[in-house]
Amino acid sequence: MRLEPQQGERIDRSHEVSFTFHGASVRGFEGDTLASALYAEGQRIFSRSFKYHRPRGLLCCRGTCPNCMVQVDGTPNVRACVTPIREGASVEAQNVWGSLDHDLLAITDKIGGPFTPVGFYYRTMIRPRRAWPLYEKFLRNVAGLGKVDKHAGRASRYDVEHRHAEVLVIGGGESGQAAAREAAAEGRHTVLVDNGPDPIELEGVETIQGTALGTFEGGLVPVDAGLVLYRFRAGHVVVAAGAVEQPLLFPGNDLVGVVLPEAVRRLVGRWSLRPGTRAVVISADDGGLDTLPYLERAGTEIAEVVDLRETRVHEIAAQGRGGRLASVELDGLKVGCDLLVVSGGRQPAYALLAHAGARVEYDDGRGIFVPTDLPPGIEVVGPAAGETGDAAIPAATYNGAAKKGKCFVCICEDVTDKDVKRAIAEGFDSIELAKRYTTVTMGPCQGKLCHVPSIRLYARENETDEATIGTTTARPPWQPVELGLLAGRPHEPAQRTAIHHRHKELGAKMMWTGSWRRPHSYGDPAAEAKNVHDSLGVIDVSTLGKLIVSGPDSAAFLERLYPNRFGDMKAGRIRYGVLNSDAGRIMDDGTLARLSEEDFYVTTTSTGAGAVVEWFEWWNAIWRMDVEIVNVTGALAAVNVAGPNARELMTRLTDLDVSNDAFMYLDAKHAHVAGAPSLLLRIGFVGELGYEIHFPSPYGEHVWNEILAKGADLGVKPFGLEPQRILRLEKMHILVGQDTDSESNVLEASMPWIAKLDKDDFVGKWSLEHVLERGFREQLVGFEMENGVVPAEGGQIVIDGRPGGRVTSARWSNQLDRAIGMAWVPPNLAEEDAELTIKVDGSVEKARVRLRPFFDPEGEHLRT
Amino acid sequence: MSHLDFLSPDLAADDAVWRSPLERALAHAPEGVEDLTRTAVFEVRGDVDGLEGEVVRLTPERAYVLCPFEEAGRVRMRLTGAGRVVVDASAGWAGLRVHGETLMHRLTDLDLNALPALGALAHVRALVIRDEGDSFRLYFAQEYGHSVAEAVIDAAEGLA
Repeated sequence: MRLEPQQGERIDRSHEVSFTFHGASVRGFEGDTLASALYAEGQRIFSRSFKYHRPRGLLCCRGTCPNCMVQVDGTPNVRACVTPIREGASVEAQNVWGSLDHDLLAITDKIGGPFTPVGFYYRTMIRPRRAWPLYEKFLRNVAGLGKVDKHAGRASRYDVEHRHAEVLVIGGGESGQAAAREAAAEGRHTVLVDNGPDPIELEGVETIQGTALGTFEGGLVPVDAGLVLYRFRAGHVVVAAGAVEQPLLFPGNDLVGVVLPEAVRRLVGRWSLRPGTRAVVISADDGGLDTLPYLERAGTEIAEVVDLRETRVHEIAAQGRGGRLASVELDGLKVGCDLLVVSGGRQPAYALLAHAGARVEYDDGRGIFVPTDLPPGIEVVGPAAGETGDAAIPAATYNGAAKKGKCFVCICEDVTDKDVKRAIAEGFDSIELAKRYTTVTMGPCQGKLCHVPSIRLYARENETDEATIGTTTARPPWQPVELGLLAGRPHEPAQRTAIHHRHKELGAKMMWTGSWRRPHSYGDPAAEAKNVHDSLGVIDVSTLGKLIVSGPDSAAFLERLYPNRFGDMKAGRIRYGVLNSDAGRIMDDGTLARLSEEDFYVTTTSTGAGAVVEWFEWWNAIWRMDVEIVNVTGALAAVNVAGPNARELMTRLTDLDVSNDAFMYLDAKHAHVAGAPSLLLRIGFVGELGYEIHFPSPYGEHVWNEILAKGADLGVKPFGLEPQRILRLEKMHILVGQDTDSESNVLEASMPWIAKLDKDDFVGKWSLEHVLERGFREQLVGFEMENGVVPAEGGQIVIDGRPGGRVTSARWSNQLDRAIGMAWVPPNLAEEDAELTIKVDGSVEKARVRLRPFFDPEGEHLRT
Repeated sequence: MSHLDFLSPDLAADDAVWRSPLERALAHAPEGVEDLTRTAVFEVRGDVDGLEGEVVRLTPERAYVLCPFEEAGRVRMRLTGAGRVVVDASAGWAGLRVHGETLMHRLTDLDLNALPALGALAHVRALVIRDEGDSFRLYFAQEYGHSVAEAVIDAAEGLA
C-alpha cells in the first residue's frame, strides 16, 4: 500500500507500468524500481540466501547488498532496488528451489550446519574421484547466483566508449558536486560520474550516470553506464564516493525487516511506502536517528531507539517467524517489531583510492579505515576522505551467551561469526588467507557491508587490534559488472589479402594463419597439388612479410644480420635467407632480392613480418648504420604461379622476355603484369617452375582474374595452403615454426651450407660455432613411411621403446604415391636409408630416412 | 621501371582495375562514412622540413605525406632527392572519413583534441586526422580495412 502523495516522492502516480513477477502481473508507477513496485504489492521476501536458502528482504535499497538480486528477462543478478521498472519485464527470484516462501533447500539452514561448515567444499565431495561428475552436476544445480542461458544470444548491445577529461569527479554528493564546480570554474574540462538515481545538472560540468568500477594506471577509470562502458582517461581524479552504511552483527541480523537507514529514507521518501508498522532503531551514528522523521511520516510506530553513542548494549538478538522479523531482544528486553533499523556507522568508500595505490589506515578513535598517501593525480573529498561524522565504535558482535540463531558476518556468502571463529581455529589467522578460505568480502557486495565487521571480529578473536589485522587488497571492480559490458562489441581484427573475396567466391575453405585469413583449399587439396605438377596452379601469397631495406649500408647490414652472404649479390638476383636470433636459433626465413646497389627487397614468413621489422630496427639502432627499413607488407599483393605452363602464362601477362636465358632461376625483374607495375621473382617454393608476382594491392583482384582468364586453356587452377604444404614437403622445404622450434639452428636443421662461418661476424655466429664444438644433438631429416600410414605431426620417433625424436610434418603425396614427412632424430640416425620407428595411433610403424628432396632432387623443374 | 616503381599504384596501365579493400564492407554503409582509400601516401625518411602536400610528421626525420591519388606522380618526383628515402605507401593504406565525436570515442582511445596522431582504432593501428568540425579521416593498413570498416559501421549503427 502506498502512503498518501507526499512532497518529494519520485513516482508519477498518473503513469502505471506493469511487469510480471514469477508470471503474476505487478503494477507500479513510473519512477518506481522493480523492488519498490513489488514492495508496494506486499512482497517482502526477494531472494533466498546463497548457502542456507534463508529468506532475504530489502536491506540497503541502494544497490549494495545481494538481497534483492533477481533474474530479469533472463539476465541474472539484477539488483531490483535500483533497477527502474520497465513495462513488460519478466522478473523471477533466483537461488530458489520451490517458491520464495517455501524453499526446499532451506533444509540446509535447519540441519546443514554441521555438514556445511566454512570451507566444506575444500574437504568434501572429492572422493571417490570418479564420482566428481555427479557431484559437479549436483553442485552446479544448487549453487551459484542466477542461471545463465548458455544458448542465448546477446541479450543487449554493449558498447565501449573512450573518453578523456582533465578532471574526473567520482560521486555526485555534496562534496563531489563542489569539487566539480570548482574545477569547471577554473576552465578545466570536468566530468562528474554519479550512480545515484537522480540526474545531476551542473553548469560547465558534463555529468554521466554510471558507476566507476576501478582506478587504474594512467588515470584510467572504467565507468559502467548500463549499456555503455566509458573508459575515461583523466588528468586528475577526484574520488567523492562517499561512505557506506555498516550493519551490526547479532543473531538474526539477516531477518526480513532488518534494514539499513538508507532503505527507510528511500522507501518512504522516494516511493511513499511504509517500511513497517512497528520499528526499533539501533544506531551508532546519526544515520539511524535521521530515519525517525521518515518513520513518523510513514505512520510507523517507533517502539525503541538506541543511540549506541549514549547507551551501551551488550546483547542484541532478533527473532522471526518464517524468516521475517517479529521481535528484538536488547540486553534481555524483548520488543515486538517488524522493522529494525540498524546503523553501525559509515565506512569511507576508499576502494577506488586503494586501486590507484593509496594506503589505508585504521583510525582507532573512530573505528573506520581512512585512505592516506594518495598517488599523484588522485584526490579524495568528503566522507570518502573520512568525514563521516560522530559515531560510536560498534562491538564486534552483540551475541549473548545463549544460542539465539545465526549471526551473519557476510550475507552475500552466508558466512557466520561461528564460521570466522572456526577459520581462525584452523589456523587462518591472516585476513588475506581467511578471506580466501571463508570467502567473506568475495560476494556481490565486494566487502562493502562485511569488510570492516569481519576485521573487527578478527581483531577480537585474535586478541589484537584492527590496525594489526589490516585490510584485504581492494581489487576492481568496485561494483559487479556484466561481462558483456566488459567484452564490448565482438570485433576481432582480421588481415585479409586484396584477393580475399575472390577466394570466397571460388569456394575456398578459409583458415587462420596468425591474424591472416587464407584459403586452406578450394575443395580438393590433393587435386590442387596434382594440378601444379601437371599444368599450372596459382596461389595467393600476399601474406608474406615484405620489407624494403634501403641505404648505402644495406648490403653490409644484411651481411651482419643473416648467416649467409649478400654483399656479393648482383642487382636483379635473389637469395634464400634464414634469420637467426643472437642465440643462433632460427627466427624466420624468406628471400632477399637485390633491387639496386642500395635497395633490397626482403620477404618474411606470413606471421613473421612484425617481429622481423622490430629485429631489423633494433639492430640498426645498435649498429647505427645508414639503412632505412620500411614495412611494405600490406602495400603489395603477391601471387605465385607454378607449374610446367607457368612460363607460357607469363608471356600472356607481360611484355617481359621470360625465356629461361633472359629470366633465370633466382632472378628478380621489373615489369607490368596485366597492367600492374610488378616485381617478378623466379623462385619455387612448391618445386615447379614458378614466378612470384608482387604488385600494388589495389590490383589484387584484377591480376588474379587476369591469371585465371589468360591461363584457362593452360589448365590454371587456384591452390590453397594445404596443397602448398604437400608440395613444399615433397621438396623438403622447411616451414619455420612447424619444422623448427625455439631451439632449432641452421646446422642441425640440415642447412649447414647457409652458415658462412668464415664471415667476420653475423648475428648468432658464436652460437653456431658452439654447436659445432659441442656436436649435434639432433638433426632434421626427411622420412618415407614403409607402409603408407601418415603419422601425426608431433608424433614420437621411438628408439628402444623410448621417445627419441619427433615428427614435424607429414603428408600423403599423390605425386610420389607414398607418405612422407620430416622429423628431428638423433644424429646417428641422420643417414640416408636409416630405419626409423614412429608411433602411430598406439602402434609402431617403420620409416626410412631421406636426406635429399623427395621430388626433383636436382631441381630440374625449377630451372627448366 | 625503376627499382621501387612496383610499389606505386598510379603507375598501372589504364585498363588495370583498381579496387578498394573497403568496397564490399561499405556497400551498405550509413550516410557520412566515405571511402578515402584512393589517396596517395608517401613515407619519407630524412629531411622532412618544408615538404609539399599534407605532411604528418611522425619524428624529426620521418613523415607521411598525403595527396590526391591523381597527383601522386608529381608529388613523388618533388619529394625525391635531398638524401631522402621515399617509399610509396599508397597501396598499403585504406582510408575512411567519418563524422561525430561519439562515434570516434567508440572506435579509438586517442584524445580527439590532440590530433593528428597514430594510435589504435578498432584494435588496429591507424593515423587519425581531424578536419573541420566533427569530420575525421582515418588511415590504416589496407589488409585490416574490411575489419575496420565493419567496426565503423557497427559503431555507427549503435548510435543510430
